[in-house]
Amino acid sequence: MSQVQARFFTENTKYLIDDVPFSIPAASEVVDLSGVINKLLEAKNDGHKHVEFDFLVRGQFLRTSLANHMETENISTEEVVEIEYVEKFTAPQPEECIMHDDWISSVEADSEWILTGSFDKTARIWSMEGKAVMTVAGHTDVVKDVAWVKRDGLSSLLLTASLDQTIMLWEWNSERNKVKARHCCRGHAGSVDTVAVDPTRTKFCSGSWDKMLKIWSTPLMTFSGHNEAVSSVLWMDAEELCSASWDHTIRLWDAETGGQKNTITGSKVFSCISYSPLCRRLASGSTDRHVRLWDPRSKDGYLVLLSLTSHNGWVTAVRWSPSHEHQLVSGSLDNVVKLWDTRSCKAPLYDLAAHEDKVMCVDWTENGLILSGGADNKLYTYRYSACVSDAGA
Amino acid sequence: HSSKRSLTKIYAYGHDQDQRKFWLALILTSVTLQDIRNTVGNIPMEWYKDYPHIGYDLDGKKIFKPIRNKDELDEFLDKMENPDYWRTVQDKMTGADIRLSDEQVDLVHRLQEGKFGDVNFNEYEPAIDFFSNEVMIHPVTNRPQDKRSFIPSLIEKEKVGKLVHAIKMGWIKPRRPKETTPQYYDLWAKEDPNSILGRHKMHVPAPKLKLPGHEESYNPPPEYLMSEEERLAWEQQDPEDRKLSFLPQKFACLRAVPAYSRFIHERFERCLDLYLCPRQRKMRVNVNPEDLIPKLPKPKDLQPFPTTQSLVYRGHSSLVRSISTSPSGQWLVSGSDDCTVRFWEVSTARCLKTVEVGGAVKGVAWNPNPSICLVAISYDDTVVLLNPGLGDRLVSTATDQLISSYEEPEEVKEQPVQWTVAEGEGHEQGHRLILKHPKAVRQVTWHGKGDYLACVMPDNGSSLQVVIHQVSKRRTQNPFRKNKGLVQCVSFHPIRPYFFVATQRYVRVYNLIKQELTKKLMANCKWISSMATHPGGDNVICGSYDCRLAWFDLDLSTKPYKVLRHHKKALRSVAYHRHYPLFASGSDDGSVIVCHGMVYNDLLQNPLIVPVKVLKGHTITHDLGVLDVTFHPTQPWVFSSGADGTVRLFT
Repeated sequence: MSQVQARFFTENTKYLIDDVPFSIPAASEVVDLSGVINKLLEAKNDGHKHVEFDFLVRGQFLRTSLANHMETENISTEEVVEIEYVEKFTAPQPEECIMHDDWISSVEADSEWILTGSFDKTARIWSMEGKAVMTVAGHTDVVKDVAWVKRDGLSSLLLTASLDQTIMLWEWNSERNKVKARHCCRGHAGSVDTVAVDPTRTKFCSGSWDKMLKIWSTPLMTFSGHNEAVSSVLWMDAEELCSASWDHTIRLWDAETGGQKNTITGSKVFSCISYSPLCRRLASGSTDRHVRLWDPRSKDGYLVLLSLTSHNGWVTAVRWSPSHEHQLVSGSLDNVVKLWDTRSCKAPLYDLAAHEDKVMCVDWTENGLILSGGADNKLYTYRYSACVSDAGA
Repeated sequence: HSSKRSLTKIYAYGHDQDQRKFWLALILTSVTLQDIRNTVGNIPMEWYKDYPHIGYDLDGKKIFKPIRNKDELDEFLDKMENPDYWRTVQDKMTGADIRLSDEQVDLVHRLQEGKFGDVNFNEYEPAIDFFSNEVMIHPVTNRPQDKRSFIPSLIEKEKVGKLVHAIKMGWIKPRRPKETTPQYYDLWAKEDPNSILGRHKMHVPAPKLKLPGHEESYNPPPEYLMSEEERLAWEQQDPEDRKLSFLPQKFACLRAVPAYSRFIHERFERCLDLYLCPRQRKMRVNVNPEDLIPKLPKPKDLQPFPTTQSLVYRGHSSLVRSISTSPSGQWLVSGSDDCTVRFWEVSTARCLKTVEVGGAVKGVAWNPNPSICLVAISYDDTVVLLNPGLGDRLVSTATDQLISSYEEPEEVKEQPVQWTVAEGEGHEQGHRLILKHPKAVRQVTWHGKGDYLACVMPDNGSSLQVVIHQVSKRRTQNPFRKNKGLVQCVSFHPIRPYFFVATQRYVRVYNLIKQELTKKLMANCKWISSMATHPGGDNVICGSYDCRLAWFDLDLSTKPYKVLRHHKKALRSVAYHRHYPLFASGSDDGSVIVCHGMVYNDLLQNPLIVPVKVLKGHTITHDLGVLDVTFHPTQPWVFSSGADGTVRLFT
């Protein structure tokens, strides 16, 4: 049995061990290594409780035996291997299952309320405990996307985009539980599939099947450039806009001038995108099985940084973790929601296989709640405690 | 002397030279018959005057002169006493005395009298005037000969002069001696004796005889001797399979070795080896069978094309006969035997609308014009134009306005189809116009501009099988006066005013402006089921119930450019993609086969057809698999509808 010289380190001061190289069997796997670390910690302080660890070798999660991993990653076994260990991410804990009357097309949650759009032409507001609070009815067709705009005390502004070619801005008072339509934004000549509120919370952008992007502020701006329907739109920052389309491109726009700044060309229809300001990467889901990561700043718009492949159907929704630079969640037509860590691109961290039909939307709130809605009329929420120690690492 | 005289007379009295010769010869033969012939010839006999002989006989012996010792007195006495003296002549050639016979004397007398020698000759025969005025069949003339026949020819003189000149100058060699030695062609004259010839290169040496080894020895080492089992095995083996043709044997001494019984046999084998040894190396062409297969690009290089099933549109309870996509690609319409038409959102597989109609839906067709929102639905004998109200609201209302703005023409023509405007509940469901046909409608298809709609009513006995409706004017026309067979499907040319009509075995191409038959394509199959026209318009594919898919290149020939037989069962539907070089076929075996069909602008380059993918997903229900296929208008995706009541999207 060959031995490998390894040095363990961590950024979590709670689980610090001595910085000396150890000789460990090359065939050891995650459980073995975890046992080694736990032994060391127990030897150091008596009150240590058993903790499951995960190990990173040169930024990649260890999933097989150490020797196997080092061979595939082309790491020399002669030198001392630097192995980082982090507390193992605990599985997301399912919390609520909220039943709807019809398919759920979109979901967005903030710290207090969950807003869902449904195919029954309404949007609904739910409390975190899964209690129906409000039904926002007014559209004449399927609600395709919803978004919270802002909250001033008890009254909130919210947006719903629909297949009936309109976007409606609603004002909702949580105390009196009254909802009032503030605006009905007409102008698109196709179903409005996506809507995104800018970081300043003063204007929003919508993308539609009519290939147009519109920024709803005064004055109304229309961006044309896509050759096919716009499937997803988001704000990178206050000045920059990003849109994904059926014409196989992701385009970056200057929100002030309306000019195109960059184009990322893929080979498949993009169905959803998400941007993480933490790692400055775009994640895209397309009408194939892959979640792809892109660098929106790079000039050669064909380069995929990373492909996350495990789904068996179209990826309909992706969302970066708001607090963790490596983690994202994706939903697919194969009924599964997957939690990914970009450091382990071969397999996802966790599969959330609760849905019985197509997953249409996912969301991830800042307080660690993962939401997914699908064609089985169910909205699942999961509590996910990304390790506090690792957050913002 | 008298004889000599008489001969002279013969000369004198002969009519002409020939006659004289005749008589002379006659006399001479009668004279010389009794004597030995003299061989000296016609010479003056005085030359022999001084010799004792007069010439030579046939044997070359001298003929001696007869002894002539008669003097004048003897002569006189002979004259006086011999009564035959007067008829005795001396033969000059032999010198012998010859007594003339009575006939000869008589002849001499006749000649002397100036008569003809022949007694029977009548010299006074009546004269026949040859040269008369009568024209005979062989005319003769008494025209005197020309002068030119007497004088030498100038032309001949000139020719001879030329030849003489040529001989003088040495140009012509007269009487060149003939070469007597025969001439032979030297076959190897041009061959370089030092070069290595082909036959030497190909030289195959005769097989060498194997040298004897230890086995052949009379006293072989014991390891070469066979054990009992080996010997048994050897005996049981086929003589051809044996490693050794003999059994090694051990003898005490060389003297004990018996005569070799197989000697003659072995020599004979050796002779056969030499005789049958190959004399020449045959160069066989080494053809790799894979080289004979046409070079087709790999399907991997022909992406994009649909590869996996992505979405299933569930909802129909019976088989889905027909599907069609909206021009934008956002919606899909499907018509089923459960008497409903369903409208689906392509990207989510959500059924957004269900319209019930009064019969099993045979065909649906979405108007290809993006500024009109109309779907044609055929069931039983009815075609309904339906406004689904999906997509842009403005387009939808504009379509409604367009239909309601129709004004009745002043003179109403008799039409084969009854047009009615839908009202009441039907109108709320989206029905706009209802067209009642005289027979069941099987297929509906729109012209690319979206104003004309063609309907097929298959009927073997009638000339009203195809009707073309103009929606804006609510007019119907029957383009064909004659029934040319059971019409299966029709299609409009995407660009030009052509119209394709597929009957059981032929596809006819009509020019709608000139109203004439332009082409007749032979499909080479038993029963055409479906047809699709390439968006460029120059290529047509036909699916048939006998598992074939025929690709026609209209520029090339009226026969199929290529026939594909990939499906195991009858083809039900074929479709082209509008932009991508793809076509698909759906079959009763439950599979959809997608092929890459690249059409080049260059007229010299034939279309490239490569099958790229077999898509399976539909379950076979009542022996029916896929009933209709259609491509997404913008993406390389294909929809298929099946007998299992589902529509599937492959991407």
